[in-house]
Amino acid sequence: MSVDIQLAPVIHFEPGKIGGDTTRSGHLAATALRAGSLIAFVAILVVFSATAPYFLSVGNIGNVLGQSAISGVLAIGLTVVLIAGGSNVVTGGIDLSLAANMGLSAAVYATVAQLGYGDATAVAAALLTGGLIGAVNAFAVVGAGIVPLLATLAVMNIVAGLELVLTQNTVIPASTPLLTALSSSGPFGIPALAYVLLAFTLIAAAIVQYTPTGLRLYAVGEFPDAARAAGLPVRRLLAGAFVASGLCGGFAGILSVSNLSGSTTGSGEMLLPVVVTALLGSVFSRRLVPTVIGTLLSTLFVGFLVNGFQLLNISSVLVSGVQGLLILLVVSATTLLRRQEA
Amino acid sequence: MEQEKSGRGVGRRDLLKLSAVAGAALAGASLTGSRTAAAAEELSLKGKRIAISATGTDHFFDLQAYNAQIEEVKRLGGEPIAVDAGRNDGKLVSQLQTLIAQKPDAIVQILGTLSVIDPWLKKARDAGIPVLTVDVGSTNSINNTTSDNWGIGKDLALQLVSDIGGEGNIVVFNGFYGVTPCAIRYDQLVNVVKYFPKVKILEPELRDVIPNTVQDAFTQITALLNKYPEKGSIKAIWSAWDIPQLGATQAVAAAGRTEIRTYGVDGSPEVLQLVADPNSPAGADVAQQPAEIGRTAIQNVARLLAGQTLPRETYVPALLANKANVNEVSKKLGIG
Repeated sequence: MSVDIQLAPVIHFEPGKIGGDTTRSGHLAATALRAGSLIAFVAILVVFSATAPYFLSVGNIGNVLGQSAISGVLAIGLTVVLIAGGSNVVTGGIDLSLAANMGLSAAVYATVAQLGYGDATAVAAALLTGGLIGAVNAFAVVGAGIVPLLATLAVMNIVAGLELVLTQNTVIPASTPLLTALSSSGPFGIPALAYVLLAFTLIAAAIVQYTPTGLRLYAVGEFPDAARAAGLPVRRLLAGAFVASGLCGGFAGILSVSNLSGSTTGSGEMLLPVVVTALLGSVFSRRLVPTVIGTLLSTLFVGFLVNGFQLLNISSVLVSGVQGLLILLVVSATTLLRRQEA
Repeated sequence: MEQEKSGRGVGRRDLLKLSAVAGAALAGASLTGSRTAAAAEELSLKGKRIAISATGTDHFFDLQAYNAQIEEVKRLGGEPIAVDAGRNDGKLVSQLQTLIAQKPDAIVQILGTLSVIDPWLKKARDAGIPVLTVDVGSTNSINNTTSDNWGIGKDLALQLVSDIGGEGNIVVFNGFYGVTPCAIRYDQLVNVVKYFPKVKILEPELRDVIPNTVQDAFTQITALLNKYPEKGSIKAIWSAWDIPQLGATQAVAAAGRTEIRTYGVDGSPEVLQLVADPNSPAGADVAQQPAEIGRTAIQNVARLLAGQTLPRETYVPALLANKANVNEVSKKLGIG
């Protein structure tokens, strides 16, 4: 099955139809962009290693991995939606409720833990919260047929409102054995959250990149009509992607409670960095499409950038500017490339 | 430490005079100033890297404290590593983690939710990095520099009682008794009023709210003035901070009841402006000295690194601004 509907790389797909020159230049540009992004990543690492004290230490790299865990899990959840919903920024797949989802799930976890229930109950409650939010998104997009951008925006507001009601906009401290384990250091003095991120990425990548289901997600996102004609359950796959993304929000909520020793306000601020990270992930993939590993790389790219700036004692004010510039570059570059292909 | 204590004592005594006699303001200013200069002679942070971690810099208080700390570290010859979390707890924790990896000679944390920052302050302490705090008490902090809220509460209460001639009804906003500084200030008001039998706190007390503090205070005071329409039936309005005072002052002015005076704490520039306006009902506002608090915290770091023992808490005197001395105080705070 997977062989039947295998998506030839988009860029290789076209040669027959279009003049060779355009394709070759498009191909070159794609290669340049792909290689360029990796070279930029490596160059930044080299520069920081040479100039920023402590940058190359195991402890610091572990720190960056650990600090990237929450945004990484969220961005990977968003990546699944981007894959299944298509990469059109306006009409394609997007889940704007992810950050609010994380906030509510964290609040649920902290509240349940404070009521005296054990970790198992709290974990189940947080994942259930995330999964439910994902299901609402799935219903709004697949059932009601609302554009994901608007549907998830509405759900985001509902979820943020629920979090306010639950927490009264206050900090809810929480301390459980699981939280202590997650916020401690693992082997080599590297934070446990770093291992969580790596393990989560491996599992997600295995499912999304190496199973028939994952391949079908790509098919649904890139060529919905072809996928439908091939007999794929397009609606169910798309709905499943939103539920998976919701579960990622619930999981990130648990990680956030461990990192902040409770649930705190202001989770909504995570949204834009996560969207940036997930979109940026495309440039780290072979075919310039969203991939789990690409998203991990872009999460770490942003993480190392922020970390290096602090180590170099450069004002953190610059970091958001650099992030914005990067996303602009990526979106314009991919848009231009796609136009060339068409 | 001894010096610290005596300096504080003089400052407080001076403040007492200050609230009674406007002329004392100058003496107080010069005394505090000379203490800073004398302490600075022996202090040095040469070759030291001092981390300054701010929860945010979007409030008057933290911006002033943050900038003053950076400047003070530089002035003492050290290298500041200053990070601002923009009131985002996730960012705050990440920055603290990275700071711990950077192994500075000390970390100074400005504000922050205790349950969020405390585990990381503990990790810093475990890593052998001394932790000091500004305006947030933690068992993992060696020293906390903050305002003396007992002094603030007492000075404000004495000014109020003296202004109303020791008798009359006062209205009190008491919505945040759960916040320690507010509770201390309120308790001090009650302690002072206890010895003035003709002064009465009107029941029920009002509840100030966040957000929409100004609007809400305006509405509540307008309603209350209708309930007590007779001039002189209310002498003063007290609140533990000065944002409710802002709304109350506007309501009193709008109702033409300018015989009433309002009192608050924090030294927000807009309230100090009202105090300075001779026609405004704003009676007094106790201003904290955020920049001085920041400088003091850094001087404490220098003392600690020089081997001295620090007190648990260092109190920086607040400045009571009344109609007579408000321009003096504003100048000292670097406002207007």
